[in-house]
Amino acid sequence: MAIAQAPAPELELEVPRVRSRWAEVVRDFCRRRPLGAIGAAVIVLMIAVAVLAQVIAPYDPLGTNFGAMLSPPSAKHWLGTDTFGRDVLSRLIYGSRTALLVGFGASVLGATLGAILGVGSAYFAGRVDLYLQRLMDVFLSFPLIILALALVAILGNSIPNLIMAITVPMIPRCALVIRSSALSIREMPYVDAARAAGFGHTRIILRHMLPNVMAPYLIILTAFLGQAILLEASLSFLGLGVQEPIAAWGLMLRGAAVEFAESAPWMAIFPGLAISLAVFAFNLFGDSLRDALDPRLRTQ
Amino acid sequence: MSKYLLKRFLLMFPTLLGVAVVIFVLIRVIPGDVVELRMSGDRGSASQQAIDEERVRFGLDQPVWKQFATWVWGVVRLDFGTSMWTGAPIGEEIKLRFALSMQVAIMATIVAVLLAIPLGVVAALKQDTWVDYAVRIFSIAGLATPSFWLGIVFILLLLIVFKWLPPMVYTPFWVNPWQNLLQLVWPALAVGYRYSAVATRMTRSAMLEVLREDYIRTARAKGLVQKLVLSRHALKNAMLPVMTVIGLEFAFLLGGLVVTEQVFNLNGLGLLFVQAVAHRDYTLIQALVMIVSGFFILVNFVMDVMYAWLDPRIRYR
Repeated sequence: MAIAQAPAPELELEVPRVRSRWAEVVRDFCRRRPLGAIGAAVIVLMIAVAVLAQVIAPYDPLGTNFGAMLSPPSAKHWLGTDTFGRDVLSRLIYGSRTALLVGFGASVLGATLGAILGVGSAYFAGRVDLYLQRLMDVFLSFPLIILALALVAILGNSIPNLIMAITVPMIPRCALVIRSSALSIREMPYVDAARAAGFGHTRIILRHMLPNVMAPYLIILTAFLGQAILLEASLSFLGLGVQEPIAAWGLMLRGAAVEFAESAPWMAIFPGLAISLAVFAFNLFGDSLRDALDPRLRTQ
Repeated sequence: MSKYLLKRFLLMFPTLLGVAVVIFVLIRVIPGDVVELRMSGDRGSASQQAIDEERVRFGLDQPVWKQFATWVWGVVRLDFGTSMWTGAPIGEEIKLRFALSMQVAIMATIVAVLLAIPLGVVAALKQDTWVDYAVRIFSIAGLATPSFWLGIVFILLLLIVFKWLPPMVYTPFWVNPWQNLLQLVWPALAVGYRYSAVATRMTRSAMLEVLREDYIRTARAKGLVQKLVLSRHALKNAMLPVMTVIGLEFAFLLGGLVVTEQVFNLNGLGLLFVQAVAHRDYTLIQALVMIVSGFFILVNFVMDVMYAWLDPRIRYR
């Protein structure tokens, strides 16, 4: 496939040709990787729902209606209402905003910082590399959720803080992978050429090496997206993430949803389905992307 | 070999020390300390003097480096101190819960292995057919489904279909094995399914790689039946990366049960950790993190040793 062979700098030079090539790449991806295309379609749909939440949502996600508490799914409330009489569907729709915001925020930040650290570590090699690796080892020894939990406790639970808390444990995981790809890139003649031309370290790292680890970067980014959404849901479920009354999927599963699971199962079922579907779509897409970008794993 | 082992063994200690420093510093940055939280339980009537006295009792008035040194020295002697919230020795607080979390983790591992290896092998053999796709979808779904939600769904299904609820009070295995299994099998299934996903994918890709090797072709060429080719030649060689994944995931499972334990009302290490963070129980948080991370580092080490032992190519590097 052509994706891996299209280096970023070339794209800037040939704008007209590139567009048709992108369309070609997209078409090719859909044909060869139907599962990935389905994932991508769900992601696009989800982004659309999040952007258009105000237009689509039938009710105010925060609007309580004590006359319609715990009402089952009906024509009026498609997915029923919760203990405060809030419309579950509307809360799900607005919840996609929280999920995507935290998911994209944390994974983009985590993967980018991790990539810079990983490339830097490979580029400088020697002592810097050794110390950075040991530091990464330390952070890798914490289970993801335990580190995130401790960080949320320190930072407090606003949405930006939640993003930070999920970002930090992701950085070393990304740095590890990127470093190993960057090690081989460091030996490439064009890096030597850049060094010989007298470019500074920052320029070589950012302009010459970083674009060439794009493939693993994108793979990790999509993998992190799903994980970040799951982690946000878990933290919110524990009551340490997003706080009421903001609509968030994990939060919707907390407390009342479990207590009333028998009499009002819609409260527990639908938010979980939303989380699963979202993460599923990101993983499906990421998986196909990995197959397409990583020549070593490509099926023959 | 022994040089490699020694180097690998010694490497564990700086990492452990690093974990100790990170968690020690992190929790001291969390606003509010255990003394303030405990005293504010008495409607904030505690005098500043009483608070100060409590802090002195816990050694919180000492300089941070001194607190750290005292604590690390304790850990080296395997003495984690006493909980700042309950006052009980940490060892006792952890003992019972450790047994529970460990049991769930082991059961989840069994579930994962039983699911992952057959599914992964079948997917690799039937690569790019509908079987492969079905296994892939099943395993990706496992990664996508939050295990705490899966737990809720299990409970719901049992309730609606069988009109039965798993016991919600923990019975130790040696008291009543049946009662114990009835309660713990559900969280084990919920966590095990998720856990199997990674292992299934690893089995599949490792098998695919091995099946292309020359010795598999040789085995087939000499007329070996498929079953023997798979069990003796392919699976044996594909198991190494799979074992690694299973081992590492197992190490994280101890801490990773945090959310699932909540759903099933299990008083395990995860629940204890969440409570410890809420109470700012410094000594307990430190002890739990050291145990979970230490366990992970140890498993990592054992895996590396096993690799070197099983694969001579690594040994002589």
